Amino acid sequence: MNKPMRDFTHGELQWLPWITPVDLDSATPEQLAALKVTPSNRAVGAYSLVLAHDPEALGERSPLYNGIMFGQKGLPRAERELGAVAASRVNGCAYCASVHALRFSQLTKQPEVMERIQAHGVDAALEPRLKAILDYSAKLTRDPAAVTAADAAPLRAQGLTDLEILDLTHAVAMFAWANRLMQTLGAPADPAQPGRAL
Amino acid sequence: MIDVMDDLARLTADSPLGKLRRERPDVVKHLQGSDDVIFSPADDGGLMRTERAAAALRIAELLRDDALVAHYRARLSALDPSGALAKTVKGDARTEGRWDAILAHVDLVTREPGSAERKDIDDLLTAGLSSHAIVSLSQLIAYVNFQSRVLAGLRMLRDAK
Repeated sequence: MNKPMRDFTHGELQWLPWITPVDLDSATPEQLAALKVTPSNRAVGAYSLVLAHDPEALGERSPLYNGIMFGQKGLPRAERELGAVAASRVNGCAYCASVHALRFSQLTKQPEVMERIQAHGVDAALEPRLKAILDYSAKLTRDPAAVTAADAAPLRAQGLTDLEILDLTHAVAMFAWANRLMQTLGAPADPAQPGRAL
Repeated sequence: MIDVMDDLARLTADSPLGKLRRERPDVVKHLQGSDDVIFSPADDGGLMRTERAAAALRIAELLRDDALVAHYRARLSALDPSGALAKTVKGDARTEGRWDAILAHVDLVTREPGSAERKDIDDLLTAGLSSHAIVSLSQLIAYVNFQSRVLAGLRMLRDAK
């Protein structure tokens, strides 16, 4: 499960769909609305064009994702990214883990955190607050039925408020969703060898 | 007004955790919105509401979440009072090819999303699912997996002293 993280920072990642994406030129008004395509913005990737086959679901999921990952106050954005990385590692989505590891590092200027996770996965030794976040995120991803009231204690001991814990829960849960779409409707392609799946 | 997550986690809107959830109005709104369009779409793309409820019940069983199982069992029972589809969810009865292919995909994407291959999508196409139905099924599986994690976190916060 713990595939090594790859560095996708040197080039736009391609995603190879296993279903023919919606063709923008023949897309329905509902599909265009869900994609937020306008005459001046037609830059839509293959991943979104595949999801546009079900415009109703896409139209709700996009604002839900944004609310969870970018909502104001509460858990710092970087720590939501840490939750995303932990979930992606457990779910084996190397691409997702790499993208969100980069965002964490850009936000925190602490590249050593993600270097440790790259080397040791979700068992990496981190400073106590980040470790509590990592542990909870991995457990919630792996087996939600195993999570009990006792799992809140290490998070609270590190100063997380209940709103922050709720934000973390939402972020980790969103990657139970995102990892499943990304890995089962197509495959990330290797930027070094376009056209070749990783 | 309570929504699907309050109902599952046995919260009232004015309980401390119910109020905390509402500090994230976009999340509350679009989580319920996702639930609505996934289980009661205006255009089902060929994946019927009964099948959607049955697939969700299967995922809840795989995740061993009793509240989620009861929730989807009730939904399926309301849509299919005969109980025919519910019997297939346990996996003991072999069914026709299309439904078998759907259940196999439910299991794969829930348990081992990292081992999915192109062939798994091809199997669904061969079984007669449209692109729309496959994306709807994928969103449904991913959503119920999301929902079970949110529910686990809500219960933890509800019960933590």
